[in-house]
Amino acid sequence: MIGALPSPPPLPRFSGTHAHNPGVFLEYKLMYGMLFSIRSFVSKMSPVDMKDGFLAFQTSRYKLHYYETPTGVKVVMNTDLGVGPIRDVLHHIYSGLYVELVVKNPLCPLGQTVQSELFRSRLDAYIRSLPFFSARAG
Amino acid sequence: MADEALFLLLHNEMVTGVYKSADQGEVENGRCITKLENMGFRVGQGLIERFTKDTARFKDELDIMKFICKDFWTTIFKKQIDNLRTNHQGIYVLQDNKFRLLTQMSAGKQYLDHAPKYLAFTCGLIRGGLSNLGIKSIVTAEVSAMPACKFQVMIQKI
Repeated sequence: MIGALPSPPPLPRFSGTHAHNPGVFLEYKLMYGMLFSIRSFVSKMSPVDMKDGFLAFQTSRYKLHYYETPTGVKVVMNTDLGVGPIRDVLHHIYSGLYVELVVKNPLCPLGQTVQSELFRSRLDAYIRSLPFFSARAG
Repeated sequence: MADEALFLLLHNEMVTGVYKSADQGEVENGRCITKLENMGFRVGQGLIERFTKDTARFKDELDIMKFICKDFWTTIFKKQIDNLRTNHQGIYVLQDNKFRLLTQMSAGKQYLDHAPKYLAFTCGLIRGGLSNLGIKSIVTAEVSAMPACKFQVMIQKI
């Protein structure tokens, strides 16, 4: 699951094929709330000054990676436990894909669900080309 | 590379701005496209003066069209026109397979109906450039599959 969540709208937007499934929006709200709380928690609990802040959390099943830009755009990626730090991957998703194909596209209004098929197909191709992508997982 | 992004974003805003400030009637009969084309015309006139101030005189019409395809396009869009065709009777077709102002939009059929708005300014650029080189013309553009597009130049013999 990959989502680009611009803040500060309370309802995060997502470039997914689940755009028409109402249950998914509840998931987005949960996700946004959780990320926001973790971020502020992490910065308050840190004993020394933080550089990057919240990077990822992992459970016994999956690992959730997080990257936030200075403009508040958040990139979230869920992977298997075996995957190490992928900040540069998330950064490329933002700079090489989101900025190039969504920000620079006059027909994609910022802050709304991304409709651009070009963005979707390029993102898909990029994820499939990553070394830790396994076709088995689909 | 900041200048490329600047022109692209400014151009996109210009198109949006022209359409926003137009009333309903104007949007329907294509007046906005004409406005954008006229803006491009004036910019093209100025640009061609700037780009040709040190070059030699052009031999003939075909030479001028080749200049537009190579140097003019390279200076503005950092690439050349991919294909130039003519019927030697005043009609030229310039084909660009990866038009810089359309690459971010889509790679196929999505947003196809919005494409002409983003081509009007460039049509004006070509027309303005040709006009200051002494050629009166009509320039139209067509897109069948983004980001490739064709500019058709019809020379008017006075």
